Amino acid sequence: MKARHVLLMLAISVVILALAAACAPAPTPVPTAAPPTAAPAQPTTAPAQPTTAPPPTSAPTAASTAPPATVAPKVGTPWKIGFISSATGGGASLGVPERDVANIVAAQLKAAGGIVGPDGVKHEVQILINDDQSSADTAATLARRLIDQDQVQVLVASTLTGTSLAIVPIATEAKVPTISMASSLDIIVDPKTKEVRTWIFKPVPGNNHSADKQAEYLKAVGVTKVCDLYSNDSYGQDTFASATASFTKAGIQIVYSDAFDPKATEFPQLAKVKSSGCDAVVIGAIPPGSSVMNVAVRDALPNIRIIHGHGSCSADLVKQAGKAAEGTVMPCGKILVADSLPDSDPAKALDLKLIKDYTDYTKGTPISTFAGHAYDALQWALVGLKALPDGGTLADQRAKVRDGIENGVKNFVTTHGLYTLSATDHLGFSGSEFAFVVVKDGKFVVLPKDQWK
Amino acid sequence: MAVLTQAKKKKGLSAAHGFGMIVVAMLVLMVLLGSRYDFGVADYVQFVLDGLRAGAIYALVALGFVTVYRVTGVINFAQGAFIMLGPMIAISVYGFKWLPSDGLNLALGALIGVVVTTLIGIASERLTLYPARRALPLTKIIITIGVYLALQGAALIVWGPQGYVMPAFTTLNMADESFRFAGLLVKAQTLWIWGVTAAMLVILALFFERTMIGKAMRACAVNRLAARLMGIRVDTMSMIAFGIAAILGAVGGIVLGPVTRPTYDMGLDLGLKGFVAAIIGGLVNFPAAVIGGLLLGVLENMWAGVTQAGFKDLFAFVVLIVILLVRPAVLSGPESEGEHG
Repeated sequence: MKARHVLLMLAISVVILALAAACAPAPTPVPTAAPPTAAPAQPTTAPAQPTTAPPPTSAPTAASTAPPATVAPKVGTPWKIGFISSATGGGASLGVPERDVANIVAAQLKAAGGIVGPDGVKHEVQILINDDQSSADTAATLARRLIDQDQVQVLVASTLTGTSLAIVPIATEAKVPTISMASSLDIIVDPKTKEVRTWIFKPVPGNNHSADKQAEYLKAVGVTKVCDLYSNDSYGQDTFASATASFTKAGIQIVYSDAFDPKATEFPQLAKVKSSGCDAVVIGAIPPGSSVMNVAVRDALPNIRIIHGHGSCSADLVKQAGKAAEGTVMPCGKILVADSLPDSDPAKALDLKLIKDYTDYTKGTPISTFAGHAYDALQWALVGLKALPDGGTLADQRAKVRDGIENGVKNFVTTHGLYTLSATDHLGFSGSEFAFVVVKDGKFVVLPKDQWK
Repeated sequence: MAVLTQAKKKKGLSAAHGFGMIVVAMLVLMVLLGSRYDFGVADYVQFVLDGLRAGAIYALVALGFVTVYRVTGVINFAQGAFIMLGPMIAISVYGFKWLPSDGLNLALGALIGVVVTTLIGIASERLTLYPARRALPLTKIIITIGVYLALQGAALIVWGPQGYVMPAFTTLNMADESFRFAGLLVKAQTLWIWGVTAAMLVILALFFERTMIGKAMRACAVNRLAARLMGIRVDTMSMIAFGIAAILGAVGGIVLGPVTRPTYDMGLDLGLKGFVAAIIGGLVNFPAAVIGGLLLGVLENMWAGVTQAGFKDLFAFVVLIVILLVRPAVLSGPESEGEHG
């Protein structure tokens, strides 16, 4: 009696499962609810490491007590840059290099005695360095304090998409030019109205640029059918959306795609990659997720082409995937491969100098793209401040700095290459400015276009 | 009496028969679903092999559930925490590099991981369940959930939210050795998992069959009151059961470590899947729990293969819900016992 009951119930469940499977079209991504590991703030970890927080404003105040020795140009009031990074909490691996670069730039400004405005008046520049603990709340509080109390002319904030988005409405309302160091396009373009946010800029390339570069490569090597495997978090989803858009434009077909759990132990997706007949696998994840998938794909299909996104361009990929990473290709921020760039590349000299300054300051920490983003954001802020004449009200100064950034960053050399800002583009980057690299003997090496095959 | 046992056997047989039918029906359904893709026989065999790897871990976890349930009548949801603590502690010890070679460091890490987890398992039984030994089974289950949450919270504070990397046992780095034959792929770590699981099964069987403590624990499972009257310390047996569950969880977590990325919250999924495996096996039967674990691993992986990877967890939990609907009694204590200690 009971056994029949069990049988009945299980039979019903089998039917339900069959219906569920039949209703689901194969390529729709169904991510499980795993949260992105790096992006969200983790309040519990923040108090565990307060000792790593920098003495927030010590560097700039030290600078202000020592007025520049040169007397030739007239000296105006000091300009202030409010700098917020996520130096503790979940974003610390990004925020700490950014904070270090802010300290380096502050020291460079102090050594130069400041900047000279268009009217020949010299201004000292103070960088007020703050830590938002990877929390959107703290970021908002800090931004208000910097705007109202410290009366900064320009903000450079913040490390993560979440913290940056928390600052966006505050900066917009107070009309303060703000340069973010996070990647999401939503920071500079309102996702609802699709309008460029007047007061917000960012020098950080997005997944759409990475996908453009991938499409350029795939087209050049004659691949028209690809598989796309992406991590089941917001980063992975964004890479997939970008790949869909860019690849379709380039005439490349995504014949199979699915999300994967970076923590999974089995990848049954690979049987479908095999049967789909694609010629290349695009992996949209960051290490260690991309390393795990790299190994799994290489094991299952020893000869298929593997293409990563720019998020995988880190030494971790090679360290974790070992031999399986050999021969994989990816777009990469130029600063990570600066020494193998051709000398004609405008970013090469800048990157090599920043790498040297950074490794000197941090006593040997290898450079990351995040350090480069902080450097670029601060340089843009300085472009704006250099366009600012002495005097005027604070509101007037802020508006002039904003215009200065928008009009001043034209063919501007940054760690990623050339940027050109305009009223309709507050990023000014094109995917072709990415370096395209291949992993060779455990190292990232630039793969020039004539060797794409 | 004889008639009773015979009737029981008959019922058991027909249930097993029905169960077998259901599994075959599921396999047929999955192959039908898989026919939408261009899968070969090798692909299906690969699904089974990969599934048996996860299944071996589920089996170990399920044995932990069954051990505790048989002796104490409690479903120990803290089991998930033991699976997480094993590899996390092992990775931390490995990171200290106390010994000259990587292999020794890993062995030491695994040993300390198992020992510390076992002590934590015993301590959690002494500190939480022992004081509440006269409470209802439901209360005790809630307590074990509390223990799980406390241990997971502690792990978050100690290790943070990020995933860790554990080296493969054979190569001692993340890239593992793999063996190929006839289009199939087996990783060296998979062999470790199967080997260690088999060894644990043999040790557990010997423990229950050949040692005095093992026999005493079996006596507790049959009838707690009678066992107590025979001079067996039921409370001590309960503590030992938690220790064994912790060893099984920690060992399973450690051998699984290199094929996943251990994090503070990895225990929840594995613990629940192990519970599903135990429940497939009826929650009191050791061999059935092992079969349940392997079956769950294989069916789940094949299901994910023929539908979508995101649906993988759905399978185990639909099975769980269906079984709980059909047999809600499993949560309220062993049926065969009259006395709940």
